[in-house]
Amino acid sequence: MTLLRLLRRSRRARSEWEEPLVKGRKAGILILALLLASTPIILSYTFLVVTSFANTIVFTPFINFKITWTTENYKMFFQGKLSPAAGQVYSTKDILTFIANTFIVAAGVTAVVLASSIPAAYAISRINFRGRANLMRLLMLLHAFPGVALIIAVYFIYIYARSPLYNALRDLAETGLVSKSFLASFDLAYSFFFVIVARASLEIPMSIWLMKGFFDRIPWELEWAAIVDGASRFTAFRKVVLPLVKPGIAALAIFAFLAGWEDLIYVYVFLPEMTLATFIHNQLSGGSLETTYLPVVAAAATIYLVPTLLFFVVTQRLLLEAVWGGLKG
Amino acid sequence: MVEVRLSRVTKRFGDVYAVREVDLVFPDKGFTALLGPSGSGKTTLLYLIAGIYRPTSGRIYFDERDVTNLHPNERNVSIVFQNYALYPHMKVFDNIAFPLKLRKESKQVIERKVMEIAEMLGISQLLDRYPSQLSGGQQQRVALARALVKEPSVLLLDEPLSNLDALLRIKIRSELKRLQKDLGITAIYVTHDQSEAMAMADKIVVIHKGVVQQVADPDTIYNKPRNVFVASFIGNPPANLLRVRVSHGNVPCLRLPGDLEYCVKDPIISAKLSALSTEEVILAFRPEHALISENPVPEYVSMEAEVYTVEPLGRENIVTLIAGADTVKVIVPPVVKPKPGSKVYISVEWEKVLLFDPATEVNIEYLEVPSVEVAREANPQWLGADEREVDEVGEA
Amino acid sequence: MAKRNSKKLALAFFLAPALALIIFFFIIPTLLTIWISFTNLYNWKIDRVKEFVGLQNYKDLIYFIQHDPDVEKVVKTTLVFTSLTLLVNVLGGLALAIFAYLIDERVSLSFRLLWILPRMTPIAVFGLLWYYFFYGSELGTLNSVLLRLGVIDQPISWGSDPSVQPWASWLIIIFVNGLVGVSFGMVVFYSAFKSVPRELIVAAKVDGATTWQIIRHILVPMARWHLVFVTVWQLLSLLTTYPHLFVLVEWGVVDKNYGTTWSLYVFLTAFSKAVNYQALAAAAAVILVIIGAILGLIVLRVMKFEEMIQPPRGDV
Repeated sequence: MTLLRLLRRSRRARSEWEEPLVKGRKAGILILALLLASTPIILSYTFLVVTSFANTIVFTPFINFKITWTTENYKMFFQGKLSPAAGQVYSTKDILTFIANTFIVAAGVTAVVLASSIPAAYAISRINFRGRANLMRLLMLLHAFPGVALIIAVYFIYIYARSPLYNALRDLAETGLVSKSFLASFDLAYSFFFVIVARASLEIPMSIWLMKGFFDRIPWELEWAAIVDGASRFTAFRKVVLPLVKPGIAALAIFAFLAGWEDLIYVYVFLPEMTLATFIHNQLSGGSLETTYLPVVAAAATIYLVPTLLFFVVTQRLLLEAVWGGLKG
Repeated sequence: MVEVRLSRVTKRFGDVYAVREVDLVFPDKGFTALLGPSGSGKTTLLYLIAGIYRPTSGRIYFDERDVTNLHPNERNVSIVFQNYALYPHMKVFDNIAFPLKLRKESKQVIERKVMEIAEMLGISQLLDRYPSQLSGGQQQRVALARALVKEPSVLLLDEPLSNLDALLRIKIRSELKRLQKDLGITAIYVTHDQSEAMAMADKIVVIHKGVVQQVADPDTIYNKPRNVFVASFIGNPPANLLRVRVSHGNVPCLRLPGDLEYCVKDPIISAKLSALSTEEVILAFRPEHALISENPVPEYVSMEAEVYTVEPLGRENIVTLIAGADTVKVIVPPVVKPKPGSKVYISVEWEKVLLFDPATEVNIEYLEVPSVEVAREANPQWLGADEREVDEVGEA
Repeated sequence: MAKRNSKKLALAFFLAPALALIIFFFIIPTLLTIWISFTNLYNWKIDRVKEFVGLQNYKDLIYFIQHDPDVEKVVKTTLVFTSLTLLVNVLGGLALAIFAYLIDERVSLSFRLLWILPRMTPIAVFGLLWYYFFYGSELGTLNSVLLRLGVIDQPISWGSDPSVQPWASWLIIIFVNGLVGVSFGMVVFYSAFKSVPRELIVAAKVDGATTWQIIRHILVPMARWHLVFVTVWQLLSLLTTYPHLFVLVEWGVVDKNYGTTWSLYVFLTAFSKAVNYQALAAAAAVILVIIGAILGLIVLRVMKFEEMIQPPRGDV
């Protein structure tokens, strides 16, 4: 709840009401034009959600057949039934695992991004050191680095390091330092580790820039006051600076979470287990509307969309800022 | 509790000198004001004493202890910032308690000390609030409480009153001075407001372009400014400055606008002027020390001038005149209302006249007779100090 | 001395995690990719990373571009997709920002949020939206609407019907990526407009300027630098983006070759079971890295970057 309050407070502080440039009928025309331009977005999302509650796919505004509204699609999805005619392809536990996997990746990405970029952003914002300017230039370049050039090499390392790491862990297990049960689930843990850390790394340059912007806004006097009051640099960081960038941390966390949540490529490449993304992908790749029962896929997609929409409603302005927030001078 | 001593302290940001070769002593239990225009380096000097900045060269001593390289938390100083720098996420109580918590004082001690200081400053009823819920004056008191609660050896104040409205400022001014005397703390106070410095300080340090201009008590600063800068910075309106020619006969005589002459009878000044032997000198006097009359006043330093405007202020009038090539302001009683355009005479008693060497801009009174040349070399403050506002250096 | 060390310690503490990740997941992979591009790595047989083939992969790539019609299509698609989507993203973003700036702030907020929704939507979900919007039978939204309006009398398979290729596929990928990308320009331009001093606009109004003149002579010129920045930045991201295209191609929404840009070609060459040729993919990726680095350096030049990297003023 405090998070919400903080976010809301920062939003209110930045909002200042201004007289719009165009008013009255002209404004009405402008808004109508915007609305018209937005119809594909509005329609496509609406059709998705509507279909997830219907007994058939709803694909057009000109409906000339009867629709029965139902929550059956969600039930089928959770039962692992992909169409009314088919039997159970997955168990309920499987489906819950898919959702959990998506969540683990998103939460993991969030944790890695926060833990690495908050301190780095603080250092860049507050400490003058040799190489600082070059580090900032490097981050800017990496921000726009072709990710596809990395994923080949990262996958190579992923294969290359797996068996030596496993062997090392097995030797450790002999000595009892690592539990046998962990060894049994090594493959999965290893894959999750790679998905999370590799995906998170892609977000780091931009996250550092974003966080730096938030640190830059904290008056130096507050930090100095803490230091003169007797705090060390670390204490001042922990007790004074960090609490003041809470809105920034919240924005960063949401951004990182959504980045991990929306990902398809990395989970597709690295993760043998399914997530919501690969579940949908599997239903549609090579399939067709005639053989895939779309209402169930729509239900899965709607569930997949819920956290995104939730964060959307909560953060609004913060999100708009963060789209390019880090790059502001 | 301690005497603060700076020895040849210099602080450079890049190639800009914020503070240059400063030697200063801040007496124990004294209230010293650092007075200067914005960008003069006074705040930098304060931060150097606090330990927020490290000097580029020079040493800083607290009594005999060399604190130059000590971290701020090893110096036992407190600072009140211009914007108060209250921690917005902590309640007033926690703000005041913060320095004590960092010292790992026990809960009871913290509680007791916070209550005591809050009582003293009359903010006991505010302890449960957040800084954003306080008025400017209340915030100022909280900042002061936080600074005092740790019983610092030196209290540093960076324009602490500049964010308050005029009335409150005057009220807190006297309170602050009283508090400092009662607690017997060494206080150093940065301000650009001369009336604040005059009202509160035992000793004023005038600083400009990173160089100390004069160190003296308020009276001396006002009546015997050491150089042109101090004369023109202090006073409202500031001192009038005129360039006048000097003729060196038996005694040096000042050639004043309107073909008037004043021959210096004071033997010491006369000797100094002769020793200086410049063709020109800068003459200065304060607006309230001059008379306006229809004829020159004998024995006074008198000059002809043309009235430009008269601003009636109720209690007095400010008359602006053109004397020779310079503009001069004179404060006169409200009944005196010369007609703009009319020719009048401005007269100043000799004792109120200040004379400055045009080359060094140093008050001639402060020059040693036999060693005028040496004095010039010892006062290099006008030799190309940087024009940039050093306070703003490096801001992102 | 002690002071020096404590600062180094603090720096190490604050920077180490991020630096470690950057080294392990950017620097080393980049070097490794360059290495792989000179070897004969395929089918992920990792021992082949020691088999040096010199410039062979690059030569092959050039040969394919000249003689393999599929690769030729990929190159063509990359050029068309990048330039047209860039146009859509920059001009569309500008138009959206202007519209949003002109109307009431609270109304514009909902529009701006609506338009960044595609950027935040999970890729699989966003792909699904357009999967059946552009579906080839009368169950596709576009087909059903066009049929209803009488524009066509047979549903068209947008992604596979040869008579509408390559433009149907191209338009679809431009449309889908445009919806994702246009919000970047919108947000940047909008915030640029917001930072134009209000007095300027009020003064122009007093002088009798029309809204159009205000846009033309005040808003757009003031956002000139942002225009350059967004253009270069978008060019860079369009060259390197591939997840949405991957979905559209894999799901058959668009033609396999006319929906594949150079980035996706790299990905598919390395990871699709049918090709699985990592060395060739790496060579193709290196070309992308070089272009990316050049554009990135241009961005550094264009941006008022030196202002942003000024040293912090209050480092104790």
